[in-house]
Amino acid sequence: MKDLNFDADKAVAKDFISNFADANGDAKYMDILQEVANRKIKAVQIDLEDLFNYKDLDEEFLKRVTENTRRYIEIFAGAIDELLPEPTEAFHDDDHDILMTQRAEDATNNTDGSDPRQKMPPEIKRYYEVYIRAPSKGRPFTIREVKASYIGQLVRISGIVTRCSDVKPLMQVAVYTCEECGCEIYQDVTARVFMPLYECPSRRCSVNRKKGNLILQLRASKFLKFQEAKIQELAEHVPKGHIPRSMTVHFRGEMTRKVAPGDVVELSGIFLPIPYTGFRAMRAGLVADTYLEAMSVTHFKKKYEEYELRGDEEEQIARLAEDGDIYNKLARSLAPEIYGHEDVKKALLLLLVGAPHRKLKDGMKIRGDLHICLMGDPGVAKSQLLKHIINVAPRGVYTTGRGSSGVGLTAAVQKDPVTNEMVLEGGALVLADMGICAIDEFDKMDESDRTAIHEVMEQQTVSIAKAGITTSLNARTAVLAAANPAWGRYDLRRTPAENINLPPALLSRFDILWLILDRADMDSDLEMARHVVYVHQNKESPALGFTPLEPSVLRAYISAARRLSPYVPKELEEYIATAYSSIRQEEAKSSTPHSYTTVRTLLSILRISAALARLRFSETVAQSDVDEALRLMQMSKFSLYSDDRQKSGLDAISDIYSILRDEAARANKMDVSYAHALNWISRKGYSEAQLKECLEEYAALNVWQIHPHTFDIRFIDA
Amino acid sequence: MGGPPYDCLANPLGAVRLTFEKAIWSESETPPIHPSAFNGKDWGALELFRHFLFQGSGLSQVPILNPKTLRWVQPNSLVRYRGMIQDMLGNEFYAGAYKDGNLWRTNKFMDVSQYPMGSSPDMCIWERRLLYCVPVPGQSSWTEPSSEMEPNWSSQTREKRRRMDDEDDDPMDLVPDDEIKSSPITKKMREDGLPSPSQSMDAKTTSSSSITSTFQSVDKDNLPCLVKIYDSPESELKLNDVFEFIGVLTFDSELAVEKDDNDELSNSFYDDALVHLPPNKVPRLHCLIHRKLAVQDFLPGSPIIEPKPHLVKETREALFRHLTAVLGNDEVAAHFVLLHLLSKVHARVDDVAVGKLSLNLTGLNKESVSVFGTRLSDTFKNLLPFTNCMPLTLEYLNTASLAPKKDYQANRLVPGVLQLPEGSHLMVDETQLESGSLNSTGIENTKLLKNLIEFQKVEYDFQYYKVEMATDVQLLIFSEGKSNIVPADVSVPFQPSCLESTEIPVAEALEAWRWYLATVRSLPHSIGSEIQKVVEDDLVAARQTDRSLGSRDFSRWLTMARLISSSFGETSLSKEHWEMVKEMERLRRERLK
Repeated sequence: MKDLNFDADKAVAKDFISNFADANGDAKYMDILQEVANRKIKAVQIDLEDLFNYKDLDEEFLKRVTENTRRYIEIFAGAIDELLPEPTEAFHDDDHDILMTQRAEDATNNTDGSDPRQKMPPEIKRYYEVYIRAPSKGRPFTIREVKASYIGQLVRISGIVTRCSDVKPLMQVAVYTCEECGCEIYQDVTARVFMPLYECPSRRCSVNRKKGNLILQLRASKFLKFQEAKIQELAEHVPKGHIPRSMTVHFRGEMTRKVAPGDVVELSGIFLPIPYTGFRAMRAGLVADTYLEAMSVTHFKKKYEEYELRGDEEEQIARLAEDGDIYNKLARSLAPEIYGHEDVKKALLLLLVGAPHRKLKDGMKIRGDLHICLMGDPGVAKSQLLKHIINVAPRGVYTTGRGSSGVGLTAAVQKDPVTNEMVLEGGALVLADMGICAIDEFDKMDESDRTAIHEVMEQQTVSIAKAGITTSLNARTAVLAAANPAWGRYDLRRTPAENINLPPALLSRFDILWLILDRADMDSDLEMARHVVYVHQNKESPALGFTPLEPSVLRAYISAARRLSPYVPKELEEYIATAYSSIRQEEAKSSTPHSYTTVRTLLSILRISAALARLRFSETVAQSDVDEALRLMQMSKFSLYSDDRQKSGLDAISDIYSILRDEAARANKMDVSYAHALNWISRKGYSEAQLKECLEEYAALNVWQIHPHTFDIRFIDA
Repeated sequence: MGGPPYDCLANPLGAVRLTFEKAIWSESETPPIHPSAFNGKDWGALELFRHFLFQGSGLSQVPILNPKTLRWVQPNSLVRYRGMIQDMLGNEFYAGAYKDGNLWRTNKFMDVSQYPMGSSPDMCIWERRLLYCVPVPGQSSWTEPSSEMEPNWSSQTREKRRRMDDEDDDPMDLVPDDEIKSSPITKKMREDGLPSPSQSMDAKTTSSSSITSTFQSVDKDNLPCLVKIYDSPESELKLNDVFEFIGVLTFDSELAVEKDDNDELSNSFYDDALVHLPPNKVPRLHCLIHRKLAVQDFLPGSPIIEPKPHLVKETREALFRHLTAVLGNDEVAAHFVLLHLLSKVHARVDDVAVGKLSLNLTGLNKESVSVFGTRLSDTFKNLLPFTNCMPLTLEYLNTASLAPKKDYQANRLVPGVLQLPEGSHLMVDETQLESGSLNSTGIENTKLLKNLIEFQKVEYDFQYYKVEMATDVQLLIFSEGKSNIVPADVSVPFQPSCLESTEIPVAEALEAWRWYLATVRSLPHSIGSEIQKVVEDDLVAARQTDRSLGSRDFSRWLTMARLISSSFGETSLSKEHWEMVKEMERLRRERLK
């Protein structure tokens, strides 16, 4: 054992506390001490990060503090004892102070205090607690990683609280008075069980050979608040095929009442063996139970708004943001194991990003959350998509329309079995406040929930008027629904409205309604057959052709994007207005309108555009955003009504031609740039390949000329 | 090295100590190595034991710990235990090495120190892992090397016992002599005579007539064991794996008393799981060496035969005939059952468990199940190492706890019916199900069954979150119509033509079949590029004619193709076998019409 000079370390601690200046140049710890002296706060938290940043940093000292933390808490406390300033404010003397003054007087009278038991332990004088906090840099340990070699050290771990005891008093210093000599005797209690003293050990009694009877003075003794908890490894930290480990945590003093079962927390604390006493000590030599003496508690943040970027994430996001193709890249990284469905994934990505909430001057709120409904044949991976989105979202609830709990989707008033009081219990939608609520089997929802969901989707609240409780709960969630067609499979002979077994009022609340059909075509069948054979041959999925981004990166990027609140610039207003009116007109022309284009549609376009602008980290909505929004909406409709198009007799190529011709005629121009053309046709839901095909075909007919390099179009005057 | 200076069998701790001292004073170096350098790792003791067990004939001399042998095995002797890891109780920190005067001593592989320990500061704290093991649920009787089945075993043990008697004067032996008949364990048990543990998993309580009164506290079929693991990476031992642990059996009466009188502290949080596992019910085993058991390891005295083509084909033919007879001459069903018995999860790709083939025999009612179900179940018990039955009644669904659940009060994982090791067979009898309503447990249970059969995964309930555990269980379902609660990969309408089964297989045939099933299952498989093209074209053509076929059906066909070629002992798919798959599928579809 090295001979450590604790006195020297105390001087270092003293120097640090009195001289440390934080970023603003304030003497952080001296300010805290003043507060302590004024009895405003009780906890003095020494941040190791501060110690690390301290100008006269002594690396050895820092190392000693982390490796022998228990001892150094004592040293810091000793240093603080000496540094504590005089109170600057008057406060009431409580019992403790009166006792202390009395003791001080006694001490001057009683000068035979050479007996260690009679000397007042420093703990009893202190009315503050010292904690040493581990630096929050780097990844915290999982419980599994805390090994025997960490005993006595300061560690930082993350986990979920599974059990929590009541807060109980724990004796720290037992105080006795002697019947014979009247001395106060102090006994330090370090364990949970202690052996009370019965005979007065004071000098006077031992000289007189009187076995003075000691009486425990509860009022004079010092107690600490004490709470025990069990924490368990988080599900994601448990290796496959293993069981989560757990660990006991002790909370003392000001640390108590900070956690409740179910909380996900990050703790820093000292990993210590449990001191055994009495009978258990016989075994103590062989086996030691351990616990964590909590030094600080941090609750995990579950909302995007509070998501803290870690170290390199910021850099990574900046790099990603510079990548022009980020929109596609992010969308593809959602559920990478699900083949295809690029546009659906794009829509889902926008759902994760969302648009900013708006509050108008007159108090009206316009929601920013996007609602999406996926509709389709069984077995097209709808549920998997939903589950994946929930995994990516920091706060997400997955439920089915027939939620198994009695609470259902919205909220319920229930009788508490213990107290018999009526309590309000939130359902899935309330639990997903500020997050995403994925509802599978949306069509099989209870009638009561279905009416309530109208309110949730537009007003974003849940109103309750049951059992004498009338209230309204926030449910600011984005709804992601999946539904099966009315007859199990989508029946192409029936109209979409018949297939979709949901009332139009509910449907119109969805920003995007997507129909995923399992269509019969040779190519996709072969694709599927190849995939299955590959899987059986190679015991792995075929390579994706790209490396999907990690969910954590996705989460970080989205949370960064959500901080922006882009606005629509003046010059775009006109553009959006014409786009909207043209959709309305098209609908009016059609004899069988499929969609219900309302003001809600316009709001949807704005929301999707804003989400797209957020993805680009831009404060303003650009025209390209609006175009993409229109394209997505068109695609979603296309998926619904594509067979209709065939009925109208126009094939894709001639339709593209008519679109281009109309647009050119409207602009009264003979030249159409390729970019513009692509823009127009993609809004109608056609692909670039189809455009190229169209260009070639009609160029052959001498309808237009195509520029060989830029592919710009010039109509030939007829 | 010559014969080990210590008897590894009767006094393994002596051997451990010897190697420890040797390691510390290695090459007569001065000063001796500080034991903290070992950091709890092995210092050569394991090499000694490995040599003893596997080079010599040591392994067969080590008694297997079961309720019968528990009667006479000595504490601190070498035993082996076969079981499934049911729970992991976390780490235990122990004083691994300490200084007794000038000498370093070790506590590795023991519960109590052999020498008095002062409170000297020279102490190394090491850690070991605690595993709670139970006998494998649904283990067939033929896998247990009992004295009836292996006549030379009993003579060996008797011999061994005699040997132990002789060596009782070994100075290192801590147990007083003449205690063979009533070892401390026995004595201890007589004192409290506690009722049998309530956590027996498959409610298979056999008659206790054979159990002597002193062993009331140990369930005959259910001897759990607390195994302490020292030197092995964590990834080696996984939950639900079946292992053989060879190590030191310890028992300390003092410790037991302390545990029992420990009530005043039990309301604190220190009540580690050990409190609920008193050593008189749960023996402690300090594991020296462990090995994972495959089905082959259960075959008694299995010579490792190369699967010769003609041998495999002959065995297949015989087994197929037997299955056909058992199934009342239904050849199609027998074919599917054979493939089903060979199925095994080979890989997991995304959410698909490749290689599973669950089977649903439809067209059975209560009466016919009592004939064929019992007959099949008896057959499987003779063929497979672990078989389980699940009567799917409404009451069962509403009350049974299928998934294991964490009990935070006791800090234990409460076992569920679906906590099964790899390669288990589970028969689900749905014919007894009647209409009625399910409660929330019932809904949860049906969801679990559905997940099990679709993804071969069981969600363990940890209250605050669920942990998905991959399983590999062969599921066979009996039902009247196609089962929707447990939707199997294949459903075959069962059409027996005669009721009586005549054939009672001879022991040799059974052994051959067990060997066949165990060996053929794990054959490798490949699909050549030529046949691949054929298969792909067939799949596309099939889907063009029948739109209802999906990737799941394709996957099933490929699985069947693999199983068929493996069943003939072949490792790559041939055209002929692929045609067989299509033919089987055709015959099955014909029946569905």
